[in-house]
Amino acid sequence: MSEVAKREERLAFTMLLPAFVVILLIAVYPLYTVFRDSFTNKVFASGQPVEFVGLSNYAELLGMTIKKLPPVIDEATGQQAIDPDTGQPVYERPITVLPREPRRYRELAQFSLFGNSYVIGATQPDFIKSIKDTTVFSLISVFLETILGLGVALVVSSGFKGRGIMRATMLVPWAIITVVSARIWQWMLGPTRTGLANVILSGLGLTDGQTAFLREASLQLPAIIAVDVWKTTPFMALLLLAGLQTIPSDLYEAADVDGASKVYQFFKITLPLLTPALTVALIFRTLDALRVFDVFQVLLSRTRYSMASFAQDQLIQYQNAGLSSAASVIIFLLIFLFAVLYIRALGVQTE
Amino acid sequence: MNKKMRYIIGRTLFWMLILFIFVYMLFPFYWALNSSLKTEGELQRTPATLWPQNPVADNYRAIFQNDKFTRGLVNSAIVATSTTALCLLIGSFGAFALGKLRFRGKTASLYLILAMTMFPQIAVLSGLYAVITTLDLHPIPSMILSYMIFTMPFTVWVMTSFFKGLPGEIMQSAQVDGASPFQTFRMILLPLTLPALVTTGLLAFIAAWNEYLFALTFTTIDPASRTVPVAIALFTGTIARQEPFGEIMAAAVTVTVPLVILVLIFQQKIVAGLTAGAVKG
Repeated sequence: MSEVAKREERLAFTMLLPAFVVILLIAVYPLYTVFRDSFTNKVFASGQPVEFVGLSNYAELLGMTIKKLPPVIDEATGQQAIDPDTGQPVYERPITVLPREPRRYRELAQFSLFGNSYVIGATQPDFIKSIKDTTVFSLISVFLETILGLGVALVVSSGFKGRGIMRATMLVPWAIITVVSARIWQWMLGPTRTGLANVILSGLGLTDGQTAFLREASLQLPAIIAVDVWKTTPFMALLLLAGLQTIPSDLYEAADVDGASKVYQFFKITLPLLTPALTVALIFRTLDALRVFDVFQVLLSRTRYSMASFAQDQLIQYQNAGLSSAASVIIFLLIFLFAVLYIRALGVQTE
Repeated sequence: MNKKMRYIIGRTLFWMLILFIFVYMLFPFYWALNSSLKTEGELQRTPATLWPQNPVADNYRAIFQNDKFTRGLVNSAIVATSTTALCLLIGSFGAFALGKLRFRGKTASLYLILAMTMFPQIAVLSGLYAVITTLDLHPIPSMILSYMIFTMPFTVWVMTSFFKGLPGEIMQSAQVDGASPFQTFRMILLPLTLPALVTTGLLAFIAAWNEYLFALTFTTIDPASRTVPVAIALFTGTIARQEPFGEIMAAAVTVTVPLVILVLIFQQKIVAGLTAGAVKG
């Protein structure tokens, strides 16, 4: 290798060095410690000796069991007792059948199958629930954001007076701090008619105006999704708009000459040519949605967790560094798995 | 019912759709502004009023007398500015090497840096916190340093493609004139990349201004270092009777307005930066 080439190589390494030191310090080494700590009983910020506990944190996080609920027998009739209020057969309470040793299982859900009643128990029901909630949240929000974002992008790209203003407007929700937008929505979704949502719904005669969107279990996820969709749709629209602008306009002119309808043009020209931009946007957004923290933490605090807010809470609130690290590793693997599946399914071409 | 009528109806529907999108995107912000100007009494009135009956600035006065909020503003400004500066410095150095110099392991280096984008922040949280406590770092520099995890990959990515796009002759002619590669970088290439620096700098600034997870975690034991998002999330009023939404909305408006102005001024650059990654794919 010539002297000049060697000098150039040395310069390149010197200039990349700061970046690599930073990566080592804030990404590679911390990731390694998280992985290592996930096999220990480490307590955060304490002098307590750290012991290796094998896979016990993972077992604790993912431990689940299904138990059959025995019917309660009415002593007078010898038959299964019937609840006089609801008319439903009565079963033993889940706590009586769920194992307590070596780990205590708590109720996650109940279901009936072939006339029998079962209970699903989990050692960390909050974590299992957080996986389910985060997945549901991600799939629905990304789906809605894509559809709405595509709609907005098509409208804006159709060209009208004031298009520039529209494009500027689209940046507003994106620029608002996520925590701030969560707080604004928290106020709009207030449980009385001081909140806008309740004013509108009661004004339309649909409710009594006392709906607690953020406290009622069945409304929590829809509310969170609404906040995220508002915040992120414009971003999706911007990405798709950029994709739309790469489609040459003479394709549409030719189609017009041939008398193709607008709908036909959308499915035969727009959609196929937009696919690469759409794919990249979908991947980025889904990976982003799976690590959601801010909206869950601000709006639902400890009543319901996303995967990330669960891990953070275990670390800070309970100082449980071992368990939190194991949760982080699981999240990391799940997101990685999602990325691989996604890239496979959508057939992204790597150069 | 002729062609003209159909055209008029079509146009009307189209404009109604545009109006709807416009209102949908801006309404929550309007609602924050509206609520921030109301008196405490009016905020509790049902049903909520669409505009303040007699606008007052009480909530704004209150938040600027609340030192938790003002300190948050100062902290956020320090953290976001320093993150941006550090990230541009380290990032453009690295990007120059990746974009213009020849060396072994170039592709691997680029992929290593890009792989950081895929990292969920939560995956390194407890490890990063441990590093910080071991090094005994103050929360403010801790935030500045750790925010590199999401600002640097993007900066390197955009800057690398920008450096690549600059003609190689510039370097060669500078070399003929006796300039070292580093001089070429500093005196000739860096000024040329100013537009890309502005774009990536803005995006890094906004990302750092927005960050919540690290900020919340690292400032648990040191409330004086809290940034704006943490301060707003944990906002309690002077009278802690209930959540002081009037003041929270005033704070929301206060931190949003400068950012929106910034975004509107640099609109073109931001859109170009945001879509840089996506379109090239």
